[in-house]
Parts: sequence; C-alpha cells; structure tokens
Amino acid sequence: MQTSEHLSKQYDSDLDTLRAHVLQMGGLVEAQILAAIDGFSTGNMELFERVIETELRVNGYEVSIDTDCSHIIVRRQPAATDLRLIMAVSKTVTDLERIGDEAEKIARRSKQIHERDRLKVQRFGQIRHVGNIAVQMLRQALDAFARLDAEQAAQVVREDMTIDDEFRSIVRQLITFMMEDPRTISSALDVLWIAKAIERIGDHAKNVAENVIYIVKGTDVRHTRFEDLEREARS
Amino acid sequence: MNSVLVRILAAAAWLAIPALIGRMAIGADAGWALFAGGLLILLGYHATNLRRLLDWLARKDPGDVPEASGVWDDAFALLHRRERRLAQERQRLARLVVRYSQAGRALPDGVVILDGDDRIVWCNSKAEARFGIDGNTDVGQPITNLVRQPEFVKYLAARDYTGPAQLKTGRGAALTLSVQIIPYDDAQKLLLARDITQAERLETMRRDFVANVSHELRTPLTVLMGFLETVRELKLDPDRARNYMGMMADQASRMQHIIDDLLTLSALEVAPQPPWDRQVPMRTVLASLCADAEALSGGRHHISLDAHGDWDLLGAESEIASALRNLVTNAVRYTPEGGEIRLIWRSSDTGASFAVEDSGVGIATEHIPRLTERFYRVDSGRSRETGGTGLGLAIVKHALLRHQASLQIESEPGKGSRFTASFPARRIAAAHPSTGVVT
Repeated sequence: MQTSEHLSKQYDSDLDTLRAHVLQMGGLVEAQILAAIDGFSTGNMELFERVIETELRVNGYEVSIDTDCSHIIVRRQPAATDLRLIMAVSKTVTDLERIGDEAEKIARRSKQIHERDRLKVQRFGQIRHVGNIAVQMLRQALDAFARLDAEQAAQVVREDMTIDDEFRSIVRQLITFMMEDPRTISSALDVLWIAKAIERIGDHAKNVAENVIYIVKGTDVRHTRFEDLEREARS
Repeated sequence: MNSVLVRILAAAAWLAIPALIGRMAIGADAGWALFAGGLLILLGYHATNLRRLLDWLARKDPGDVPEASGVWDDAFALLHRRERRLAQERQRLARLVVRYSQAGRALPDGVVILDGDDRIVWCNSKAEARFGIDGNTDVGQPITNLVRQPEFVKYLAARDYTGPAQLKTGRGAALTLSVQIIPYDDAQKLLLARDITQAERLETMRRDFVANVSHELRTPLTVLMGFLETVRELKLDPDRARNYMGMMADQASRMQHIIDDLLTLSALEVAPQPPWDRQVPMRTVLASLCADAEALSGGRHHISLDAHGDWDLLGAESEIASALRNLVTNAVRYTPEGGEIRLIWRSSDTGASFAVEDSGVGIATEHIPRLTERFYRVDSGRSRETGGTGLGLAIVKHALLRHQASLQIESEPGKGSRFTASFPARRIAAAHPSTGVVT
C-alpha cells in the first residue's frame, strides 16, 4: 500500500525507507523470538548465542530509526497521516526493541535451565505453544503495518487475550509441579519467567497493532474496550 | 477512389436531372430552388454521417461501427473490417497472456516478479502460500516488508545471486525454502522459491540414523565393558559375580534386540511384495494379540477386545501380526497402572482397520509426525527404561506400507493415544468359517 504522494519524491522515498527499516527490524525480532523458543525446547546453545548477538543489531536499528524520525520531522514538518506514521514508528521501534529484550531474557533463562540440569522440558510443550502464538501475533502486527490494514491489526489485539489465558494456565501448571516436588522449584521459576516474557511479547505486539490502527484511522485505541477498538478498525 | 468519384458525379447528376426538369417545366427560379434543396439534402446526409463517425470515434468502448448507405457505407465497411481484425488480434494476445500466466501459476515453485526497487509486480499462488503475500493487494509493496526473514533481506541486499539462500517460513506450515533470485531485463528480478522441507528432513534422518545406531549400540556396550573390567580386575565373591553376569546378559540381550529389529527392518525393505492370496486368520491373530497384551500387562490394565466383521486380511501373517503386536505392546508399556486399553477391529468389504486406544501418557503434537522415524524418542530416558529399542513403530510403518495400509496416530498428552492401522479393500477377503475353530 502506497501512502499518498508528495511533491517531493525524496520525501516519499524517505518515508518508504523508514517503513522498510521498521519492518527489517521487525524481521530480526521475529527471528530472535523463534530462535529463543527453539532453544528453550531443544537446548541448542548456538541458538542462544545468536539471540544474544542479534540483540545488538536490534538496538542499533532502534537508535537509527529514531534519528531518521527526528530528521524527517525537522526537515519536512510532516502533517496528518505522515505525522501519525512517524509518531507511530517512533513508538513501534520502542516496542520492537522491548520484544528483543524479552527474547534475550528467554534465551538466558533457557540457557540456565539447560545448563543446570536436564529438567523435563518436554513437559512444557505449552511454552512452545504460547511462544508460537506470540510470534504469530507479532508477524500479523508487522504485516498489518506493511499493508496499513487496520482490520488485521484488530485481530492481533484479540489474540492477546488467548495469550493471557494460556499464561494463567501455565502458572497453574507450574504451581502444581512445585507442590508435587520442591526440587523443581528453581527450574519452575525459570520457566515462569520465560512464560512471563512471552506474555509481555504478546503485549508489545498488541501495542504495535494499536499503532497501526492509529496510523490508518487517526484514533488512539489504547486502553479502550475491544469492541470499540474493533468498530474503529472496521469504520 | 475512383468509385467514390463516380458516386459523387452520379449524385450530382441525380441533382441536376430534377433541376433541369424543373427548369423546363416550371421556370428557372424553381429549377434553382430544386437544385439548392437537393444540395441541402446531400449536405445533411454527409453531415449526419460525419457526426456519427465522430461520435463513434469518441466513444471509449467502440462497439459496432455505425452503418450507412451510399459513399459512407464504403468507409464504414472498411472501418468495420479493420476493427474486427484488431479485436481478433487483441483477443489472441489476451489469450496468450492468460495462457502464460496460467502456466506461471501452475509452476510447482513459488514465483515472484520484482521490479528495480524490489517491489512485488506479480506472483503465483505457490508464492502467495509460501510467503504469505497476496497477488492482488500486495502489488507495489517492497518484498522485504512482507518476507522479513533476516536471511532473505541480507541475500536480497547483497546483490550476489550466484547461489540460492535458505530460509524457514513461519506462516502456516513451517517450511524450509530454497530461494533463488534471477535478475533479467536490466532491473527486473525473478524470485524462485523451492520447497526443500522434505529433502532436508531426509538428509537429517539419514544423518540421525547413523548417529543413533552407533549411540544405541554403544550405550549397552559401555555398560558391558564396565562390568567386564570389574569382573577381570577385582576378586569377587560368586554371588556378586553372578549378579554382574546377569546384568551383562541383560545388556547383551538389549544389543541383540536392537540388531534383531534392525535386521527385521532391512528384511522388510528388501523382501518381495507380501502375497495377495494368503489369508491371515484374523480371529486367531486377534485372540493371540489379546493374550499377549494380558500377559505383558500382568493384570495391571483393563484390556478389552471389540471385533466387528468377519473378514480376513490378505498378506504375510508374520508381518501383520508383528506390526499389530508392536502397537499393542506400546499401549501396554505407555499406560500407567489401572489404565484402559481397547483393541478395536472393524472389517467390511470396503476395508478394515485395527485400532489400539489407551488412556496412557499421550504424545505431544510436535512428536507425532516423527514417531515412526528410527530411534526417534519422545522422552529419551523413558522408553529405554521400558525396554524399547526405538525401532518398533518404524517396523510397524514398514510392514503396513508393504500391505498398502496406513498408520494414523491421534493423541493428546495426559489423555491417551489411538493408533489405527487401516487396510484397503484390496487386502480383504471373507473369513473361512473354519478359521474360528482352529487352535
């Protein structure tokens, strides 16, 4: 989807590049979560290293995209959609960077679990399951950002409720494990942190989706009821 | 050209004749009036037709060329002919374009055409499915906005397209794609995406197999060596020594089991097709399966047999029985004490199926597709404890495949599993009434 054209070709191409950079950063973050969750299930140390290395590149993207945003504001004095786009981009990169941080947390915790003892990670198939939902949400949110598709963004917000439910059920399961056998407590706590990190990833993906609705519709849908948000996205 | 001239002259003559007659009959003025009137009519005729021509030319959708009489008919007829030829030409080209794009759509590989700025120009349905893009709405979108895998972005940006790049897709089914970019026509690029998931899986399986065989054999061998060393180095009292010998024998027999299973598998792979005319007495087989299950369980499970239909299978009895026995043994092994195991046999003239349902530990979804791989273990500690070689389901699958049968696995962790072997109608025959009484 093209944004409306400006007299200055350079301005258009600046905005396109900005969007492309955000999505490239998003791609890195997606790969990061996937690797972190894969690492959790398989205990592959190489994957953890990769997640931690990628973190530096993600941080680099955040800084450079923010700089680009302020350059565009200073040079072009954007208005209307363009201004909303730039403001949303600036918020989105913060969310993406946080997602990267959460992925790194998952990697570090998983590394600890696998180094400490081979806890029966297979029992936590649910982590993989919510992890996949979180990645799916982020992917949809970024797709919605690329296509400026408010309806798809609204779907992402709905998905976040699933993740919250799954998170609660994981917590219940972990409590049972810990009560059954206190030796599992330290590992169970690590798994809890990982589940929490995934739940946070879902929240950030939801923010990204809300930013898309803001760009397209011009209304701020944060902290509104889901029904209102959905109506806004459809309008 | 000449004919037009002749016609104009003829028209003039037609005007002149009434004018002359009028002049002779009524007088000069009337003759001129008649002549002028005729001229006006002629002018009107030309003006109307010119108007119609202009109208037709101005129309967006040309439709039929207008019709007229006289000189204009010639002009319109020529135009009509040209129009028809052009329309035919257009149709031919349109058909050609449709045929090419259909061919592009039918390609087994994903194809995306990119312009100089790496924006999507066209893509086929395979590419839509593999990359999660939409061939209608995503045209003009930079490809890296939607295909965001860092490996791909890097490959595209490097502008070195001598070899393919590999990437994993996340949308829908997880696939491994081999992506190749072919630049053409100055700036345009053709992006080909080949699905290499299967090839990659085979490669991993082959590698895993060798590693697994060595590992599986080495584990008991290490234990065996340890005991041997102890027995040789230390002076042991006879009781202890006998105890050690027993454990050594256990390990040796485990190695024996693994090698037996491997030999069974390789025998299944090279053996000729199982016979089509040999009837397997299912009643006997089912009864013995049930007895085996009871014996293995030792009364710790509720085992029930539910058989319907009086049909037998056609094939090699030993293979079928060992495949089905493997399924039953697994159910007994993986169901905790007090659990329930149901053997279900259904047969009719359209096919037969043998299912084993248990209320056991169940299998997580991600393991199910790989269960029949050799030495694949859901939980590596567990199945060895229970005495499995890791080859049981591989043997089942092979034996069933040789009988054109399929194995379906449904399972839910914590709830239980259901393994179903389905045999096609070709492998079915009505049971002899006598088979029930044998043994």
